Amino acid sequence: MTEISKLTELRKLMQSMERTLGLEQLSPVERDIYYAAEELSKADQEVRTFGLIEHTLVQSVSRPTFFRALKSLVQKGYLSQSGSANRGRYIVHAPR
Amino acid sequence: MHKWASDTFYASLAYVVASFLTFEVLMPLQNVFFPEYPSRASLLFLPHGVRVLAAWLLGWRSIYALLPGVFIVFAFLGGSDVFLPSRLMAIAIAVTTVPAVFYLLKWVGWDLFPRTDRKPCWSCIMGVGVITSFLVAGLTNLVFGSARVEYVAYLIGDISGLFFLMLGLYFAFRFADSRT
Repeated sequence: MTEISKLTELRKLMQSMERTLGLEQLSPVERDIYYAAEELSKADQEVRTFGLIEHTLVQSVSRPTFFRALKSLVQKGYLSQSGSANRGRYIVHAPR
Repeated sequence: MHKWASDTFYASLAYVVASFLTFEVLMPLQNVFFPEYPSRASLLFLPHGVRVLAAWLLGWRSIYALLPGVFIVFAFLGGSDVFLPSRLMAIAIAVTTVPAVFYLLKWVGWDLFPRTDRKPCWSCIMGVGVITSFLVAGLTNLVFGSARVEYVAYLIGDISGLFFLMLGLYFAFRFADSRT
């Protein structure tokens, strides 16, 4: 495991604690999509909607819920639409 | 080789820093607020949290990664007594118990180690922290032959130490995120 992925795993652990202690700012679906986007963004700077929908953590989420949560993540600043490419590509940002 | 060195550096550094905070900051405060408390053990023992998180992240590699840090702390606290058989035994218990419990749980089908395709279970890691605290406190007291009050103090210190270390990390991440 690389240094970056160790930090990511620690952050995921802290986010799990955040949820248990009720400190979270995101809904469970938003959190799952954000986890998935973080994973996928390791391989590529941009994340495609198609890749996100196919991710293990998101597979059980219905399409309308998925797109609502995706929109909310963009509004909250966790994701932003890629300006240079087609629609359906996002850049992952650190939580604020 | 570089990865092993950086694992060892960061894990041992975290252990030394956590021990410094425990013995030089928290324990003097404990003595001020609970002067009647008879035990010399810390009621908030942060190094246990470092042991648990290092074993969770590194597996068996946490043994050698923590060893220099644990040795430095024992040498700082006990001076040349660090080479006494009981101290060396306590060092061995401190670095091996937590990864042993994680692997034992994995062996019985409860794999808690981090994986990219699933979310980590915070309460499970806390559970391992509690189990290992019982084991470390029991084994260490066996080696040192301490009183029962010390045993209870070790348990309280380890469990609260793990919880507050994780809470501290959580707020540290949030602080770091707010500045980027």
